[in-house]
Amino acid sequence: MELIPRATFEQIRHERVEEIAAARRQGAKVVGYFCIYAPVELVQASGAIPVRLMRGGHAAEEAGERYLRADACSFCSACMGNFELAPVYKQADAVLSVNTCDMMRRLPEAIERHFGVPVFQLYMPRTSEPLPHRLAGFRRQLEHLAGGLLGLTGSAAGVERLESEITAFNRLRDMLRQASDTRRADSPLLSGGTMLDIEATAWLLGPVKSLSLIEEVLRMVAARPRQEGRKPRLMLGGSMLTEDDRWLLDLVEEKADIVTDILCTGTRWFAEDVPADGMSLDRLARFYFSRPCMHRRPNTDLYRYTQTLVRDFRVQGLVYKTLLYCDPWNFEARRLQEALGIPMLHLDTDYSTENREQVRTRVEAFLETL
Amino acid sequence: MSNVGYSDPKSARVGFGEWLELFDRVPDELIERYHYYGNGEAWSKYLFPPQTFAIYGARHLRRLKFDNSLAALRMWGFVQNETERLFRARQTGRRVIATMGDLGAVPVIVNSFPGCVAFYPDCIWWTPFVMESRVLFDAAAELGIGDATCFSRAALGAFSKHSYFPDPDLVIASTGASCDDYSGVEQLAERFAQQMLWVEEPMRCRAEPTEPMVRLLVKEYERVVDTMTKLTGHELTEDELRAGIRCANAVRKTVARLRELAYGSGALPALEMMVVEFGNLHYYSDIAEWTAVLEHLLATAEERAATGERVLNEDGLRVVWVTPPADPLLLSYVEDAGARVVGTEYVINQALEVIDETKPGLEAVAESFMAASLIGTSEARAESVIRQARERQAEGVIISGILGGSHCAMETRLISDVVKQELDLPVLEFDVAPPSNEVGRQLQTRIDAFLEVLRSRR
Repeated sequence: MELIPRATFEQIRHERVEEIAAARRQGAKVVGYFCIYAPVELVQASGAIPVRLMRGGHAAEEAGERYLRADACSFCSACMGNFELAPVYKQADAVLSVNTCDMMRRLPEAIERHFGVPVFQLYMPRTSEPLPHRLAGFRRQLEHLAGGLLGLTGSAAGVERLESEITAFNRLRDMLRQASDTRRADSPLLSGGTMLDIEATAWLLGPVKSLSLIEEVLRMVAARPRQEGRKPRLMLGGSMLTEDDRWLLDLVEEKADIVTDILCTGTRWFAEDVPADGMSLDRLARFYFSRPCMHRRPNTDLYRYTQTLVRDFRVQGLVYKTLLYCDPWNFEARRLQEALGIPMLHLDTDYSTENREQVRTRVEAFLETL
Repeated sequence: MSNVGYSDPKSARVGFGEWLELFDRVPDELIERYHYYGNGEAWSKYLFPPQTFAIYGARHLRRLKFDNSLAALRMWGFVQNETERLFRARQTGRRVIATMGDLGAVPVIVNSFPGCVAFYPDCIWWTPFVMESRVLFDAAAELGIGDATCFSRAALGAFSKHSYFPDPDLVIASTGASCDDYSGVEQLAERFAQQMLWVEEPMRCRAEPTEPMVRLLVKEYERVVDTMTKLTGHELTEDELRAGIRCANAVRKTVARLRELAYGSGALPALEMMVVEFGNLHYYSDIAEWTAVLEHLLATAEERAATGERVLNEDGLRVVWVTPPADPLLLSYVEDAGARVVGTEYVINQALEVIDETKPGLEAVAESFMAASLIGTSEARAESVIRQARERQAEGVIISGILGGSHCAMETRLISDVVKQELDLPVLEFDVAPPSNEVGRQLQTRIDAFLEVLRSRR
């Protein structure tokens, strides 16, 4: 039994999209973004509404193939399709894209060309060693972005406003961490599916509105008795699991507990706070530069992060869900398994729905081995 | 220098068998003349016919069409024995440095250090096709990179085999605004590297001047110099770096002239020109001898231009080729079918740029890198294609891609759309098939039909 039914989250998100549409009619600007490297504090401090665009879906993927080749990663194809199909994508006055992987670097060009949505492209070094000139280069990109946002909203991200937003988003990170950490216990009450719903909803609602929702979840977890019996404790890995991938989490959690993840749509965004010392933009630069991800070179930090989670959350197995043609995550599957030394199920699929029963069989077989 | 009585036959593209007959006519004195590493020892000779390399596994050579000049034969011999040359480099005390990913800039710095040889494992991507073998792909698959990705994964297989090049003293891996496939190859190759230096390749942002990125890149190149200094114990002087830049520029200028002659009037075939253009990356591990090979080719091409002799029909269907074909047989096939390549966008613009010799060395190298094909937008690549197509009155554009190649997936359609929109030219897009002993029948039909369309538009 879910703590909060999925339909409730969907209703909240639906209402929020309508609220955003109403705000736009009053002149507000919406900036859509894709991944954990987008400095949402800066967007919000500029007076725009940051909205994470994290929908997948088979219909969207098919629609996207009109614009991209079939061997573009499914998320990129679905992004293109969702600019036609998803109400929240249609609210974007601009898109903020960080050049993480090559496909995400090139996606904005296609969005701009085919949908006329202006793009802020933020260049972040792919190399992960935080050398001063790399951090300085990234900080300069943040300044450049602030200038672009000023042009969009007419409102500058002043120091006070930026500090306020850093505090607000740090508070959100803290609350999400608390929610996620409830899964350290045996037989966690908060499922991986609900956690994904909380995250997706928080990224849409923003830091203030989502706090009460998370507080409510935490109260429910505290009040509810734990179930008897133990299920295998799993980690989710891979790039993007979107709102439309909830079916996979439900399927896995029929017989296992998802206790943590290393997804692009998961814990890596809130694992730490933006640091407290230094000038606002410097802190944002340091924080976002240091987020671990598989595409960084070398990607040692992500391996370290993953190993820590495996230990702290007593993970027994990894479900590693990659998207077809997502090179940064696909290539590392074998190496990651060697590094972690725990059983791993690698599912490499697109968003098509025909293979779900095959996926079920593979998941069930995997869980039996645990 | 005299050719000791040997003169080129009337220019033509010839097959494997005809080359053997021509080679029989090459005087021994000429064969003895050409050595790599400026060395007169017997082991450094390289003027061998394609048969020699076919025996050692380069089976595709039996199917290609070659330019029949002595200069082209010399070029093929030099290029084909690069593996041997790299092992010889190690044996003769040179430092062997693998440079990866940036396609053209870092070797200029590395080669400026005395006794150092830079090479690109990236160029191993042709090897499975030339060998008609999946061995390197299978080796890459064992390490985690399967079929649905760029053929550059062959480089990872080559690292794991330890037999395509000596284990490098240092690997300098550039990544950043680059393709995912090769960045992934670099990451997995790290386990084979004695020492690996990661170098950032900045993005060329549309809305910004390149100057800040050049500054960032200079800092990265300073790290390359520091690491090389530690490795070799040699402090690189600005004069040495400038000398290195002059050598690189000599190659780049010669290649620029060869491009004019080949793409302008058909003085050399597209196959040889692809080899020539990619020589700008790392000079096939011996810049001095490669420069001499190019000068030989240039003399041949100039003579053909002066006498009006052409290796290709000047009236051939003029096409611009976008993204280098991993299977060289495609170039032979297209030329056999009546086309002539008049321009290329082989993702190596940065290696074709002449480096500014008046500026501080690292800054000049960094500036030249900012012309790189893959660090900017797809539209910028399309503009380069359009510029060349206009200049040479191209009649069509061929874009060869790779299934699963990250930039191919995202930009092929965009480049195609922009070209069609701007030039109203037919565009043929296809993915190169895995290694085989022929161009697939379906692809043959597509190429034939495409050329038929171009012909009908005349």
